[in-house]
Amino acid sequence: MTEATLFTITFFLYILSALVYLVSIFSRKDKWAGVGFVLAAAGLVLHTGALILRTVVSRHAPFTNMYESLSFLAWATVLALIVLDRKFRIPRIAPYAMLIAVGLVALASSPLMPKEATPLVPALQSYWLWLHVSVTLLGEAFFAVAFIASLLYLRSDTEEKKLKMDSVSYRAVAVGFPLFTLGGLVFGMVWAYKAWGTYWSWDPKEVWSLITWFVFALYLHTRIVMGWKGKRSALIAIIGFLAALFTYFGVNYLLSGLHSYA
Amino acid sequence: MKSIWKFFESVKLAIILLILLALVSVLGTLIPQGRDAAEYAARYGNLSGLLIKLRLTGLYHSPWYLALLFLIGMNTIVCTLARFGPKWRRAFRPSPEVDDKSLQAMRIKNRARIHGPLPAAAEKAREALASRRYRVKTSGEGRRLAILAQKRRLGWFGSDTVHVGLLIILAGGVISGVTSRRGALELRVGQTVDVPHAMFRVRLDRFETEYYPQGAVKAWKSTVTVVENDAPVLTRVIEVNHPLTYKRFSFYQTSYGWDWENPRLEIVVKKPSDPAYLKSLFPKVGERLAIEDPDFTHLAVSRFVPDFVIGEGNEVQTRSLSPDNPAALVEVWKGEERVYSGWTFARYPDFGEGHKVGQASLSFVLKSYEAPQYSVLEAAKDPGATFIWLGCIFVTTGFFLAFYWPPREIRVVLEEVQGRSEAVLGGFASKNREAFEAEFELLVESLRRTT
Repeated sequence: MTEATLFTITFFLYILSALVYLVSIFSRKDKWAGVGFVLAAAGLVLHTGALILRTVVSRHAPFTNMYESLSFLAWATVLALIVLDRKFRIPRIAPYAMLIAVGLVALASSPLMPKEATPLVPALQSYWLWLHVSVTLLGEAFFAVAFIASLLYLRSDTEEKKLKMDSVSYRAVAVGFPLFTLGGLVFGMVWAYKAWGTYWSWDPKEVWSLITWFVFALYLHTRIVMGWKGKRSALIAIIGFLAALFTYFGVNYLLSGLHSYA
Repeated sequence: MKSIWKFFESVKLAIILLILLALVSVLGTLIPQGRDAAEYAARYGNLSGLLIKLRLTGLYHSPWYLALLFLIGMNTIVCTLARFGPKWRRAFRPSPEVDDKSLQAMRIKNRARIHGPLPAAAEKAREALASRRYRVKTSGEGRRLAILAQKRRLGWFGSDTVHVGLLIILAGGVISGVTSRRGALELRVGQTVDVPHAMFRVRLDRFETEYYPQGAVKAWKSTVTVVENDAPVLTRVIEVNHPLTYKRFSFYQTSYGWDWENPRLEIVVKKPSDPAYLKSLFPKVGERLAIEDPDFTHLAVSRFVPDFVIGEGNEVQTRSLSPDNPAALVEVWKGEERVYSGWTFARYPDFGEGHKVGQASLSFVLKSYEAPQYSVLEAAKDPGATFIWLGCIFVTTGFFLAFYWPPREIRVVLEEVQGRSEAVLGGFASKNREAFEAEFELLVESLRRTT
């Protein structure tokens, strides 16, 4: 099977999973959530296969252009959802997380994204490419789950649902923030130092990841020290995810700098 | 002094500073940084003077951005110090003694009747706790014993470790800003140059560009020899992502170029009227070559540009130093009279065809053009970098401790009542309370068991 075939089947499994999850929250039947989970997990397995195939064919990490990195971010989002769902049971978040994954895969498949695996420019030929990009995107995937939980918090009507969403949002940030710091900032600095001889250049992508970092630092300080929970916490997590999204996506298209690879 | 301390001890200050830093940093990505005044004038008109004066055009190095970083640094130091003492005592110098009120106030609590007299019951409790990897301390005597069990005590210091790491990183940034030295070295093959601020020299032995089969650049490889006291010390290949480090200096492959001052050119002269006529010439730029020919006596290339473009005032310029549109200005003489002068292009050979030269018609082809390549290496010494890596290790460790190494505490107060021991237990966990409650209940169960 080719990567394109696997990718297409993955796409349909994700769509089905999102639909089944949606049915589960509107019909309030738990068995549908189980089916949604199985579909998402099956999609993730095939998606993993597609990423491995691409790595074997292109002989480099599967996130060196926009198509590849969108696909990897979708993979990371489904993984984050599955991990958090196993641990905290979050059927209400699942459909929206799956919709985000579907959106990312659709965007990756759009004709605007060049799909050919191109050989790596010298600056990207490093094992830090694996570490820096994969860990950062995984962190951002957890931010995406925190974002959904925060939005759902704002829309929740009962105290019980609110408590749950608030807690899930915090747990997702508690995973995402260390990953983002390690992958984006720490590994990023190490790699920049190896490739360019300077660990920090105030390049727009660097500054935006620092801004994202400031927002989540704010989230933790207001929450843990000042005891802010609920609405204000949710709003900060939403802003943080939007900052992360801009770091990932917006900077490439709207601002110019050293990070002009994807 | 006290009021300054109070000012920096506030978490509100930290929150205000984080918000300010985030907002100000955004501003710096909207205004392009470090361009020249003319560019700002073109972009912002009358506003450009103000932007430059406020240092918004070099925002991240401006005194007021550095002041914000300084303030948050001070804030971090004071907050960490203020919280450190009590935390240290709680983690490492705790007293097992506890009054009933505080014990009752603990969120997780239970009671157990333990079989046997007080010393045996205390031993049983200690063993049960130790088997769950708790560190146990006992105090009290006679009819009342207090046990304190702790686990993952380092977890108290997660946020402190992150903060110390961030301070080390800030310090590293300052050290880099003050002491780092860097400069570009342009090296032709065979050339040896001084490394600024260093006591040694480097020589470029070889420079090559490797290409993928599809044509894209795969690697730039500079073979470099370090020369110290006129003796070669070591030879390494430097590539992007593979710098050479010697005596605290690192050398990075950053760029490359061609030395177009003295290209090796090949000009082919043809005559459309005589298909058998073909002359291959190798002129140096600016030098006249004598040719035996009935129609002319000399040929010269008076100018060569690697990337031909007509610039302002109709002047021929080169757009870049890459050979993207190589062109040679060919001149032909008959005795002292210049009979022809015209550009010929390697990429567009048609331009060089069929020119009237005196009585004859000639074609000129720029067949090959080569120039020695030079390699650009960045030589850098940055003593601050070591602090950055140390700080990163602290930050990463701190995150792990703060989020995934939550401390747990169990207090047990044992009293002997009519030959039996009554235990009151209280538990505390900073995170993941559900898992802790399960552990706590298992412990209580095991104490209640008679065997």
